[in-house]
Amino acid sequence: MSSLLEVEELTAGFGGTPVLFDVGLELRPGELVALIGANGAGKSTLLGALSGLVSVFHGAIRFGGRLVTGLRPELIVASGMVHVPQGRRLFGTMTVARNLLLGAYRRHDREVRDDMQRILQYFPALGDKLEREAGTLSGGEQQMVAIGRGLMARPKLLMIDEPSLGLAPKVVDRVMEIVKTINQDGTAVLLVEQDVVLALEIADRGYVLENGRIAMSGQAADLRQDPAVRKAYLGI
Amino acid sequence: MSQFTQQVILGLLLGGIYVAVALGFSLVWGILNIVNLAHGALVIVGSYITWDLFTRWHIDPFLSLPIDALVLFVIGYALQRGVINRVIRAPLLFTFLLTFGINLIIVSLLLLIFTPDFRSVTPSYSGNGLHLGSVTIPYIRFGGLVVAFLLAGAMWTILNRTRIGAAILAVGADRDAAQLVGIDLRHMYALTFGIGAAFAGVAGGIISTFQSITPTAGDPYTLQAFAVVILGGLGRVSATVLGGLTFGLIEILGQSGPGPGYANAIAFVVLVIVLVVRPRGLLGRLA
Repeated sequence: MSSLLEVEELTAGFGGTPVLFDVGLELRPGELVALIGANGAGKSTLLGALSGLVSVFHGAIRFGGRLVTGLRPELIVASGMVHVPQGRRLFGTMTVARNLLLGAYRRHDREVRDDMQRILQYFPALGDKLEREAGTLSGGEQQMVAIGRGLMARPKLLMIDEPSLGLAPKVVDRVMEIVKTINQDGTAVLLVEQDVVLALEIADRGYVLENGRIAMSGQAADLRQDPAVRKAYLGI
Repeated sequence: MSQFTQQVILGLLLGGIYVAVALGFSLVWGILNIVNLAHGALVIVGSYITWDLFTRWHIDPFLSLPIDALVLFVIGYALQRGVINRVIRAPLLFTFLLTFGINLIIVSLLLLIFTPDFRSVTPSYSGNGLHLGSVTIPYIRFGGLVVAFLLAGAMWTILNRTRIGAAILAVGADRDAAQLVGIDLRHMYALTFGIGAAFAGVAGGIISTFQSITPTAGDPYTLQAFAVVILGGLGRVSATVLGGLTFGLIEILGQSGPGPGYANAIAFVVLVIVLVVRPRGLLGRLA
């Protein structure tokens, strides 16, 4: 099967200073791929480069066979690649419903409201909180709104950055289950996650980013057994 | 007592004008983080359009308000898209300098086109008023207050009930997150500035009905708008309404009490006190 996302020799960063060097990455339709690595390895920068927030200096990003390198963020969203940023980044003074509807900003079809009901089935906890200000929700609920807002764009690929950040272990498990379910329902997922055990448990494949370069990649099960990965990220 | 009532009414009428002037200024400041020093000049452009339509074709000043809004929206959108967008992420001083320069250019153009002569809009009903006992409410000023409340209602509805309003608020809250849901920042900046200018234009149309217009007549209104936003707070339409009405009341009651010379002094002393006691303004949101 041809790939959904293809990244070749990507060099990207801020203000002329590269953070990523020659990154190559591939993701097939329906796949769940984990991107792991230490703090500062460039994971969030990579998602930023893919979604158009971070400048690309060199290399190519192809999505669905189309070159999207250097495209403005709103056009990348419209093409079906949606980035759920680290720290949720909700519009805190707006209601949950308005946050979700903003997720569908690029869409002009009549199914937006129906989609919201469908997406809410992933997050039963939000059902009675639609009219609450998003900023007043718990961390886990806010993460669910952030993922829901991403889904409202009807993405082919959802890129989720550190969904477990700052959440209680039980809530983390719940969020990861939801991510897995969303993936099983057909949306490809690129998951950046500090909890390497959990990420490799639900992922099909994984990439390890070190100092801005891809250091290793492979099947998630193989990476879990890899001595270097175990030593560096699992503390075993 | 009726003297006092008359003063309160005059204060609210003046406050209504301040509300109208400050709504667009507050939107641009709150969403774009631009303190628009050309705001007063945009207000006066609206005044001249109303004056021009009135003297040329005898169009009632209140009927020309939608035209003011439309023309100023186009000017505002173009200004932001073509000029101000280039420095939107630069430090505040740059936007200060730029909007100060735009103010000078607009004032100079108005001098060139309309000369520095005083211009007045005097519809047939301009001297009439509603007499309630010993209290008099000039029709024109009352009309201005009604328009100010309509403007506030329109602003609230745009921001809280429309898709565009949600996008504008999203841009004000978090530019990156707004881009990640697919909002085109350059367009939304320009749209926000255009709406701010349109509201300024309508305020200018109202102002032309009770005040003689000159090209520099807008400068005090920039200052008043600034004071209203500080007093009421940023980020809420209700804050601008409360700030504007309060500022108008203070100014008129100051005039009738200690004397006309003290009106501005008293208004700004109250402003300083509010800033000390409640820095975010009467109704402003925290950060």
